[in-house]
Amino acid sequence: MSENTIFKNLKNMPSTHLLGTGTPMCAGCGGLEALHEVYDILGEKTVFVNAAGCMTLLSVYPFTPFRGGWLYTAMASAPAGAQGVRDALDILKDKGAIDEDEDMQVVVLTGDGAAYGMGLSATSGAMERDLDFIYLCYDNEGYGNTGQQFSGATPHGAKTATSTGSRGYPGYKKPLFDIWAAHKPAYVATVIGAEPLDLARKIEKAKTMKGPRMIIALSPCPTGWVYDPKETAHIGQLAVKSGVWPLKEVIDGKVVHTKVPHKRVPVEEYLKLQGRYKHLFEPQRNEKLVAEIQARVDAYWEGVEE
Amino acid sequence: MTRLLMTGNAAAAWGARLAEVDYIPAFPITPQTEIIESLGAWIDKGEMPGRMVTLESEHSMITAAGSAAATGVRVFSATSSQGLLYAMEMLYTVSGWRAPFVLANVSRGLASPITLEPDHNDILAARDSGFLQIHCATCQEVLDSTLIAYRLAEDERVRLPVIVNLDGFYLSFTREPVTLPEQEKVRQFLPPFDAENMMFRASSPESQAVAVLGGGPYSYFRYETHLAAQNALTVYDEIAAEFKLLFGRHHGALECYRCDDAEYLFVMMGSFATKAKEAVDRLRDAGWSIGLVRPRLLRPLPHQALQKVLCKRRAVAVIDQNISMGMGGVLHSEITSVLYGKPDAPLLASFIGGLGGRDIPAEEFFQIAKVLRDAVEQGSAPPPRLLYTENELREVRKLQAIASVERAELRADGEMGEKGDE
Amino acid sequence: MKTASRILGSAFFHQGYEVQDAPRYGAERRGAPIFAFVRADRAPINERGIIDKPDLIIVADDTLVPVPAAGVVAGADEHTVLLINSHTDVNEWQQRLNYPGPIVVFPAPEEVADRAEMPFIGALCAGAAAALCNVINRDSLQQAIEQELGHLGSDIVERNSQRALHAFDVMQREEANVVEGISADAAAWRAPEWIELPFDDARTAAPVIHAADNTDALKTGSWRTMRPVIDYERCNKCWWICSTFCPDGAIAVEEGSPVIDYDHCKGCLVCVAQCPPHAIEAVTEHQAAEKEKS
Repeated sequence: MSENTIFKNLKNMPSTHLLGTGTPMCAGCGGLEALHEVYDILGEKTVFVNAAGCMTLLSVYPFTPFRGGWLYTAMASAPAGAQGVRDALDILKDKGAIDEDEDMQVVVLTGDGAAYGMGLSATSGAMERDLDFIYLCYDNEGYGNTGQQFSGATPHGAKTATSTGSRGYPGYKKPLFDIWAAHKPAYVATVIGAEPLDLARKIEKAKTMKGPRMIIALSPCPTGWVYDPKETAHIGQLAVKSGVWPLKEVIDGKVVHTKVPHKRVPVEEYLKLQGRYKHLFEPQRNEKLVAEIQARVDAYWEGVEE
Repeated sequence: MTRLLMTGNAAAAWGARLAEVDYIPAFPITPQTEIIESLGAWIDKGEMPGRMVTLESEHSMITAAGSAAATGVRVFSATSSQGLLYAMEMLYTVSGWRAPFVLANVSRGLASPITLEPDHNDILAARDSGFLQIHCATCQEVLDSTLIAYRLAEDERVRLPVIVNLDGFYLSFTREPVTLPEQEKVRQFLPPFDAENMMFRASSPESQAVAVLGGGPYSYFRYETHLAAQNALTVYDEIAAEFKLLFGRHHGALECYRCDDAEYLFVMMGSFATKAKEAVDRLRDAGWSIGLVRPRLLRPLPHQALQKVLCKRRAVAVIDQNISMGMGGVLHSEITSVLYGKPDAPLLASFIGGLGGRDIPAEEFFQIAKVLRDAVEQGSAPPPRLLYTENELREVRKLQAIASVERAELRADGEMGEKGDE
Repeated sequence: MKTASRILGSAFFHQGYEVQDAPRYGAERRGAPIFAFVRADRAPINERGIIDKPDLIIVADDTLVPVPAAGVVAGADEHTVLLINSHTDVNEWQQRLNYPGPIVVFPAPEEVADRAEMPFIGALCAGAAAALCNVINRDSLQQAIEQELGHLGSDIVERNSQRALHAFDVMQREEANVVEGISADAAAWRAPEWIELPFDDARTAAPVIHAADNTDALKTGSWRTMRPVIDYERCNKCWWICSTFCPDGAIAVEEGSPVIDYDHCKGCLVCVAQCPPHAIEAVTEHQAAEKEKS
């Protein structure tokens, strides 16, 4: 834990929330849970540059839940939109056309569909240009906005609208964290709305830094993952406790795990709650696939503990 | 006032420099690259302020251009051909943001097959995007049009992005004498960009480019963009008049050359129109009553001005340096719609030429004039004509022979090889 | 409601009708109110899109009826039958609504806390509606359910059929009948009030919002079928858990105590699941309304 954090314990969490209510996200949206926690830390002087995804509909004319800025770009190029806004604000400051206190934090808001796929080139470009921005990916492991088809973020074995067979999605979740980290941006971190203290400390840290600050928030999705909306936080907590979603950050090239689940709960406790994995347990248990998923998680953490 | 030899690309770069642009998102593509290289070099040498950033694609480049304009700075960018098409989603998008900036497009034929030489299918693919379009015929026009384009884009009655189009090679890499306006005079003509209240600032909340639901609001926003584009016709005329007053050069929405008493007209866009101009002079020398109409503004289309200049003529030849598959020349379609129902509309003939930089020699213009005259005598319009000669086809046949011979030989080799292995 | 419209559509189809059925999606996500429509005619149907003059309106969630923004009764006239799935009786609905046509109430089944029961509402509404239309027989309804839900297994078909046919039988006794609507009259019509759209400059004519944080005007509380209620005697005033986890930020903290904003709580019940001392209880909206009355 960083010595400088103001989030020493849970009582330090913000008690008022900046993001407006009344948005059209699904009831129990894990992405919205993470976003409102993030916004509370970032504050009003934030301009979100949005990539096409579920969150596009946060602002539908004439309503917006934001207190600062919002710009909807397209699916592939939100980081380039952030580039334009960031550069323009810097130019205006340099020219003395605006005061320093008119400046805003530029934040890309993107789903996993764009982040892992169509938008990856633009994201890579922004990191390579050392763009001073925050990048927030709400990762619900599929093209959620169109009804949860598989994306580059979909985990092995998960059923989606386009992987309906008995083995679910045949591919493996793309290691976006590592792909980003290889660019050596200022900061890379994973977060989850269900661990708000860890999230708050990371966003607090990111906020004070310069350069590309890359955040992936695993976003449990009742609609796409097929579970009762009330389980959103619980499933998020299980993702961390089972080791499926490692909470970590990279600073100066070093990966640090911020919450190591020393006694990991079996992955199946996480899987069993979600309809997208139902075929692993019914009509009969697919021991091989469950074991494979568990083994991949175990292998990851063995690498960490070395 | 300085008169210098410079290429069309240099003229575009000078236009941006004199407009004192703040921001240049860039991406290289032939034959445009010289524009961004020139600007980059001036910025590096400290000869002009401004910031250039090379994006990883044209799609991102236009996104950055639009978002910077939406934040309140003056933006210039440049592309060509495949790049313009790669950016197409964002062309439609940023015009809907009502983000005003200027994009130079160096026209080049589209794949497939890939080519480096010019025609207008790239720029015409952007016809309905909400970007206004100014088409240039000379390097001087490229520079002047860039300045005019900023005034047009930023005018509160318009507030739309503008493309200044110049043909690859014929303008982009061709040097001509260009008069360089004085910076002070340009400042007089083009005041600093005022984003009004459309920009991102910490003190004022703003959600831009948000989604809408329902056909009612959507139709409103889309049609307002159309009305703004239509306003650009009047606004353009005002700006062109002011430009003439300050700089002495007039660039109308239409260029009408030796049209006053002409019975026949050529209609053409872009740099090949100067070839048509030359043909007009030669035909006039030979006793023909002929002129040239060149739309500089394609969007908005100067509908009434075109009607006015084209009606009461005997015949008009539209020469399209583009082709809409399954329909024909795009400009021909546009002119047809302009003239529909006019009782004194001329006989209209369609010619496709200059695809992929294919030259249009003087003789072809002369022949087009003759086709017009014959058609008038016969009282019916001729079928559309591709400007293409027997010799050209013969040359293509030779290429095809080589292509197929090699294939046949390879097959023969393969068979022999297999046999050899036995 | 998509299921209801498809069952009703198929039932008409089996009865020999030409049919159109479609759901209508908006910006809202799962849990938000949605609507779907069915057209049926003996002749091929050329009309398309949303029905602007319905002959029958079927409401599964009665909390939506009085909400003007929900537009439930839009386009209704004296011939339009309004069928409401409700605990409230017809007389009370007639008093509460200034509705021009006949109202029919299908007595809502006792709600259960298990949200898995919710899907049956579609079959139930379709069954009730089929009866009111007077041209669909039991067999066609049964066939439609098998066709639309068959892929979910025989158990689901069975449970849905049971509810749908029960609704069908109950509604057979209703007097109100759905009558065929009248086509637009090309001999006498009201001219549309077309205007020349005036030019507005980009400050108003671009999709830009200068306001901030105004989505609270959208009452997403209407999505809720279950309501979280805080028992303040058991609440240990940790406040941060429910307030932070609430995806919608619909739990404020006032003087150290959490307060739920029911105008915007979508009823996901994350707070119920997460509250350490179990001080938040889930009750059905119906129970909550009854409690408020007493």
